[in-house]
Formats: sequence, C-alpha cells, structure tokens
Amino acid sequence: MSNITEFDIKKPKVDLNYASDKKPVHSDPNPEAKPLPKVTIDGKTYDFKPGDTIMQVAERYKVHEEIPRYCYHPGMPIAGTCRMCTVEVEKAPKLMTSCSTPAADGMVVHTRSDKVMKSRTGVMEFLLTNHPLDCPVCDKAGECELQDYNYEYGPGTSNFKEEKRVFEHATTKKLSDKVTLNMNRCVHCERCVRFTDDVTKTNDLVMVNRGWHKELEATTEAGLTNEYQGCLTDFCPVGALTWNDFRFKKRSWFLNRKPSLCDGCSKGCNIEVHSDSEIVYRYVPIYNELVNGHWMCDAGRSSYTSYTNPLRVIAPLMKHNDALHSTSIQTLLTDLQVHLKNAASIQLVVGTDATREEAALLKEKVPTIIGKNIAVSYFNGTNGVQTSADDKKLDELLKMKDLTPNTKGVEEQGLSPLANGEVNADIAILFRNGRAGIPKMKADQKVVLWGIWSQDELKSFPSKNILGVIAGLATIEKEGSYKNADGIVQKFHPAITHKGGALSAHQVVGVWKTLN
Amino acid sequence: MGTINVSKKYTAKEKAYLPAILIGMKITMKRFIQGFLFRKHDTIMYPEKKRDYSDRFRGMHFISVDKNKTENCTACYLCETICPAECIHIVADERDEEHNPYGVKKEKKPVSFDIDALRCCFCGFCEEACPKDAIKLSGNYELAVSSREEAIYDLDHLKRDMNGRREK
Amino acid sequence: MENSLMFDLSMMMAKIVVILIGTLGVVPVMVWFERRGAAWMQRRVGPNRVGPFGLLQPLADVVKFIFKETFIPKEANKFYYLMAPIIALIAPLCAVAVIPFGSKAIINGQEVVLQVAQMDTGVIFILAFAGLEVYPVILAGWASRNKYSVLGALRGSSQIVSYEISMGIALLSMLVVYGSFNPHEMVSWQQGSLGFLPRWGAFVNPIGALIFWISIFAETNRLPFDLAEGESEIVAGYHLEYGGMKFAAFFMAEYVAMIMASGLLATLFFGGYGLLPGMEHLVSMVANHFGFGDVGLQNTKAAFEFISFATKIAFFMFLFVWIRWTLPRFRFDQLMDLGWKILFPISLINLVVVTIGVYYFNS
Repeated sequence: MSNITEFDIKKPKVDLNYASDKKPVHSDPNPEAKPLPKVTIDGKTYDFKPGDTIMQVAERYKVHEEIPRYCYHPGMPIAGTCRMCTVEVEKAPKLMTSCSTPAADGMVVHTRSDKVMKSRTGVMEFLLTNHPLDCPVCDKAGECELQDYNYEYGPGTSNFKEEKRVFEHATTKKLSDKVTLNMNRCVHCERCVRFTDDVTKTNDLVMVNRGWHKELEATTEAGLTNEYQGCLTDFCPVGALTWNDFRFKKRSWFLNRKPSLCDGCSKGCNIEVHSDSEIVYRYVPIYNELVNGHWMCDAGRSSYTSYTNPLRVIAPLMKHNDALHSTSIQTLLTDLQVHLKNAASIQLVVGTDATREEAALLKEKVPTIIGKNIAVSYFNGTNGVQTSADDKKLDELLKMKDLTPNTKGVEEQGLSPLANGEVNADIAILFRNGRAGIPKMKADQKVVLWGIWSQDELKSFPSKNILGVIAGLATIEKEGSYKNADGIVQKFHPAITHKGGALSAHQVVGVWKTLN
Repeated sequence: MGTINVSKKYTAKEKAYLPAILIGMKITMKRFIQGFLFRKHDTIMYPEKKRDYSDRFRGMHFISVDKNKTENCTACYLCETICPAECIHIVADERDEEHNPYGVKKEKKPVSFDIDALRCCFCGFCEEACPKDAIKLSGNYELAVSSREEAIYDLDHLKRDMNGRREK
Repeated sequence: MENSLMFDLSMMMAKIVVILIGTLGVVPVMVWFERRGAAWMQRRVGPNRVGPFGLLQPLADVVKFIFKETFIPKEANKFYYLMAPIIALIAPLCAVAVIPFGSKAIINGQEVVLQVAQMDTGVIFILAFAGLEVYPVILAGWASRNKYSVLGALRGSSQIVSYEISMGIALLSMLVVYGSFNPHEMVSWQQGSLGFLPRWGAFVNPIGALIFWISIFAETNRLPFDLAEGESEIVAGYHLEYGGMKFAAFFMAEYVAMIMASGLLATLFFGGYGLLPGMEHLVSMVANHFGFGDVGLQNTKAAFEFISFATKIAFFMFLFVWIRWTLPRFRFDQLMDLGWKILFPISLINLVVVTIGVYYFNS
C-alpha cells in the first residue's frame, strides 16, 4: 500500500495522535532490560508494548482477519460504544471491548469463542432492527462494514416484527453541498462526531435525542463547514454519509483500485484511484503514517475532475492559419523545431507540478535537442508561492499553501525560480501539468504549451501566440516521483491508462530526438 | 494403436437396397396421404396461431411498474453486474423529491436502462438478481427487427404494459 | 395441294402449341406440387398463402424472379454463361417433340399423327437431345468462374456420362425387343396382353425397365442423384451464380427434363399412349352413347389415349417427387459404385439375356 521508497534523513515529527503503529514489537536484545509483557490471544502468546489495547495487539500480529468494529477507528479517540469488538477475557466476568481494554501481562483472550460469536450475532441483530436494508440503492454496498460483518457474524434472520423507524426528514438530507445524510441507515457509531471533535476540531456534528430517535445533526445552520468532509464518507461504516460527487455514479464493485498520489498540494497525500474502464470516479485516501495518516482534504479529493475534464487537451495541437488543429506528435514537433531554430532566445519554464524525472529530463535534453542555449527555470505561481520557502501549513491537519506537488523536487534539480515570475524571450516553452500557475508575459509572447492544458486555459492566450500544444499525462496516468513539503520523496505508478493522444514527456523527447 | 474398423457386415437383403427404399417410400406415402387427405400436420399456422409456451419461458425483458407507472427499478446495477453477456447498461441518478411518493425505497432511479437484445442470451440471471422484482422476462419471443439499433431496448420500451408474462 | 400444305402447317402449329403448353404449363403445377407434396410427406402445411391452397405460389415466384436484379459475375465468360440456361431449357423441349402423345386423330377427313416430329429414328433423336443435357451443366459451372460451380459441373458431367451408358444399354435391350426406333411401332408392339398383365415393356423386360428408371433419375439430376447441385456441400453447384430469370430457366429445365424422361419411360416401358387396361370398353361406351361413326370413334380413342399418356406421365412425375422426399443424396463414391459396378454389368447381362430370349421367341 505504501508508496514510500525514499525518505529524507530528517523524519517529520508526527504530531497527530491517530497513527497506529502496526509494526511487530521485538524484545530488547539488551539482557539487562526488563522483559516485555506477554498476552495470550486465541492460544498464542504475543509480546506487546505497555499501553496497547487488546485490539492493537491483535492488529499488530494480524490475529485472524480483524476483530470486527464499528466505533473504533485508529485515527480517533476510543469510544467503546458499538460493542461489536467484544472479546472473552479469562477471569473477567463479562465480555470486554477489545478496543478500550488495555492488554495486561498474562492476560488470556479468546476472540472467537462461542460466547463472543453469540454476542456479535446479537449485536448485529440489534443493529439491523432499524437498518432499512436498502443496499440496492445504497452507494456503500459492496464496501459496507455492516454488510461484511453481517455476512460473517449476522444471525441471518431477525426476531424483529415491528415497523422500522424512519426519519422522514432525514432520508436524503444534505449536510452540506458535499455530503448527504441518510439517517435511516445510521448505526450510531459516532465516528463522524468524534472526527469533527478531535481531528478537525471544528465540532460540526452532534447526536441529538436518545435511543431510537438518536439523530445526527449539524451544529450550525450552515451545516458541515470543515475541509475534510470526504473522510466522513470514507469511514462511515454504513451508507449514512455519502459523498455527493460520487453519489449514484458507480457501484463500488465495478471499481479498479490502484494506489497513486494526490497532486493537489505539496503535502502529497497517498490515495487510491478508483476507476472503471480507465475513467476515474473518485480518490480515496490510504494510510501513510508519515504523510497524511488516514485523511485527505476535500479539494484534493475532487482534484481528479481537472483530469477527467472534457475540455482537457488530449491530442497534440498545431497552429495552422492562426487556429489550432489536432495532429500527430511528429508533425507538431517538426513544425515547432523550425520555429525554435529560428528564435533568437528561448525560455523553458518548468511548472512545479512536473515530476522530478520530468524536470531532470527537460533541463538536460531539451536544450541539446534544439541545439541552443536555453534558459531553464521553474515557476510555481499558486497562492503567491514562488519557492518552497514560501510554503506553509494552512491548518492543523494536511492543507498546504503551495498547491503544486513537487516544488522541492524541482528545486532539487538545480533549477532557479523564474525571475519576477515573468517570461522574457522570443519563444517560451511552458511545461505544466494543470496545477502550477501560468507566468506573466507580454502581449505578443510566442508560447509552446506542454503538459496538461484545458481549452479554457488556451483561451487566455491570443490564438496567434500559441505555436503548438504538446498534450501530456496526468499524475494518475504516468510514472514518477514527487518530493513533498516535508522532504519525503514518493514514487508512484500509473493508476489508469491514458486513452487519448497525450504522451509522457519521455515519449515526446524520444520522438523529438529522432526528428533531428 | 491401429484404426479400429467398426463398419458392420451387411446382409444380402440390406445390400439389395431396394427393400429398404420401399420401406422408406411406404412411410413417406403414409405421411403424404395423412397430410393430403386428413390434413394431419405437426406444424401450425404460425402468425395466426401460436404455441403455448410454459410460464417459465424466458423471452424479452420488461420492467415492472407500480400503480403510478413508475418503474420499480432502483438502478442497483445488480443485473448489470450478474449479466454474463454484458448486455445491460444503466445510468443512475437521484429521483426528484416530488416523484418520490414511497420515501426511502425509491431515492435512486435509472435515467437510462438499455438492454442490447442482440447480446442477451436470455439466461434470466438478471431476473434472479433483481432485489425489487423490477426486471423480468416476458413470454415474448418475437424479437425480429430491421436494424441493429432497434434491438437495443430502452426504458420506455421495457416499461410496456404487461399482464404477467404476457403482453396486454 | 395448297390447301393441304396450309392444313399440315396449321396442324403442326397446333401440335407444337399443345406440347409447349403441356410441358411448360406443367412446370408451375409441379413446382407447387413439389413444395406442398414435400410438406405433406414431412407433416408440414407447405405454401398455402398465395391463392387457394397456395396454387398461385409459382406465379408469385415468377414475379419475384422477373423483378430480381440481372446479375452476371464479373469474371464470367458471358457468352457461355448466358448460353447454359438456354440449352438447358431447349434440349429437353426438343426431345419431347418426338414423343407421341396419341395414335392419330381424324380432322377434316385427314389423318393427323399426334406427334410433333414424325421420324423413324425417334428414339435416337431423343437420346441425342437427352445427351445434350450434360452441356448446360458443364457450361454453367465453367463459365461462372466459381469453385463451387466447377465442382458441381464436374460432379454433374461425370454422373450424367456414367449413367448414360447403363441407360443406353437398357434402351438397347428394348430396341432388340421392339426391333424398331420408331416410337409409334413401339407403342403398337405393346398393345395386347401377357396373361393378366398388359404387354408392356416393363413386364417383358423388368430389369431393363428398372435400370432405365434409375438412370433417368441420374440424367435429370434429381434426388438421390442431385450431386451436381448438392446444396449442403457446394451451395447450389453448377447454377450457383445464376439468379432471377436465368435461374428460373434452369429450374424450368429440370421439370421439362422430368416430363421428357417420364414420357420416354412411358413410351418405352409402359405402353406409351396405349390405353390403360379397361379403357377400351370406356371408349366404345362413350362412342356408342353419342352415336359416333368411325371418325368419331377414332377421335374419342385419341382423346383417351392422350389421357392415358398424361396419366402415366403424371404418375412418373409423382414418383419423382415421392422418391426425392424419401431418399437422401448419395455419396459420390456410392454414386459411381452404383453406376459402374452394379447398373452397368447388370444391364450388359440383361442385354445378352434379352437378345437370346428374342432370338428364341422369334425363331
């Protein structure tokens, strides 16, 4: 899952308390040291760190698949309310919740005894008394913890004969323009409430009323306001909270899941790209303790739309009679080569959203291919950021000021920032992957556009100024690495295959070389 | 391993051919007389008269509707998922509040629901998979069309009036 | 003299018209009967939509044939390609001209022989034109420039040539019996009776009749000898590339050939236009009833002779259809086996036996 292949020597300080350490514990080789405490789970004895709960010990050693849970989430404080994770502890009179019971030396735990299984069956039956079972309609179906656990532990039948309670007003309630609540499906695990209380610290959500009438409500009239609402829909174990952008778009079982990186800001959150037939439907964060923990922001979650945008240029465009026409890469480059050879001065501006490999390639190869001395510089231009020194955290969690993923990585290649943020040459080659800003330029500046551009962005140039557009690949379509704001280098592989006529920078340079 | 010769030896009577030919001619003559004089046929006058098929016969699909003529389908994609021929194509969307008289049960609706009858193998898995008893197979087996496009049936066609498995 | 020529000419025209209408007119009826008869034998209903009992089905077919696109394959040899259906249709029609369909009528005090072309070597003439039937098959198959057509043509030609031999020998054995090439003499030889049987060639020389009968199936390319067409193997064989009226010509030729073959079979082996057993009484009854004189009696007899002849032909046509829907197609090696190893030796032996018999009886 983790894409980390290289680290900076200085590890970033993990100052959030949600990261659970899943690495096994090894005894200290020093014979003087105190022996580690031991706990017996399902007949096997394991070492553990003092302070671990039974659940954490079981997770560390992967006892069975996992202990079922609804309210427990490693990134949030422990509540112990759902009673799904109860295990049998010898000499304890009742079943204990494994998520909140600290392991003790010599403790003997059974996670799959008859008593435990019976308890789980009972919990499932109670959870399902009021659950509408509208899985056919529910977007969570297929990745729903209620479905999974019911399949594994559920009774199969119900003794509940009464009418199910229905929240008439909250069947499809918009908590914000991003999240829809269906209160009927809720199992009251309160993960969402704890998330807004303890992770985002915005206190957006609260449970009102009691018992059957316990209902999730936003604390303010405006509804949810925090920037991490998508996470609510990720960890909601049922389909109570659903992400509007994905709502009814695709059933979860059709999706291909491939790891990649979010390039929405310099944080470099690890994501899973969910696609079907090479069409991206959503980004979902995956756990990386060093970078993003369990979460990602809403802006990053929706950032795939710039790649699925129908206006994105996905074929090489060549200028002919002051209008752009799609063509083959060979034709375009042959045409550009003539312009570039005749130009008095050329400037290559690499956006800070280029991968490290692309930046190195452009800096090294493009001047040799054109056969001229070319000024190569980088440009960021987002949120007023020019260099990585301007970058800073925008909030307690993940959001960064720099909205490009690789400022540090481009700087590392020895490029210098664009002076005054303004291009000044006969022809400027702008390499940019849709994230970096467009530098200032004079009104009749001739440009060659390279990378990811949309038709709207092309309109910001007078049409006679664009010599050609070389369509490039998006982060999720190509291979490379980014160095994030914390100095962590993360390598990624294509999550989807590009179906248009765009080519990677390596392919373009390869074609370009053969034309000389 | 040589070739095993399984051909049988013919008797003189069989070798003469003619008796066997005469037996065959007797049979065809019997049929001829039955058909000519007594009008005994195993076939039927098809378009006017149709055979009764079993109620379990699997013909062209239809989508059942409720009393408001709203389709029972909730666009759950289970039929599309199970379909071995990949002939069902659904696009789902949210149902408007005002057209949602049954509350939770119908918050989702199919915007388009196409069945490519040319790909369909009439296995009936979609009918089995459907949690709402929305998609069903009718007894209609007359599916001739004059172009390939006509064989792709949309939601309006699938919602046609049905009486059980028979068309009204 | 002038008058007599005009009379002969008009009589000749009348006979030609009768024969043409008779043969070509039977084709649509046969097409209808073939299809409905096949249906009945297979317990189906058959074509019954066009007209009463589907009788107008052949008419609908003709309309369809006429309005079909006239198509000639690009690579075809046009002349031979167009020649083939014409020969196919004309050859059997010519052969029919020699087959007598009655003894003679007396019209205007003059005797009119009920036969289009009166010639002493009638049977040889028939054989000559029946032999022509191999040409359309070869021409059509070769000129179409189609692999299947060529295959069909090769099959057809070797089959027709093979069976022509046993057919010729069977015919020869009958010529020995009759001692004449003239069909009229053959028919008159067959008048009379053999005990309770009529003195028909088939009863005098049953093996020859059987061989001849089998051979005409092969000669007319009818099942079980339709290897030249062989739909299941070579699509439509030699006439694969023919459509519209050109195909219709082949189609008609098949039925005309059947009529010709039936007529020949009837003339040679089944008493020709000779009255069916028991019909003599009918003739005299009718003549007595109307009080005809000698002339009237002869004309009544001629009419009944025509009816007898038509009945015999109808029976053999029915037999063609009946056999077709009973027997499957031969394999090609079986076909050749039958022709060369069975029919040919048997017909030879039969010829010898018959010759000895005739010699013995005559002396």
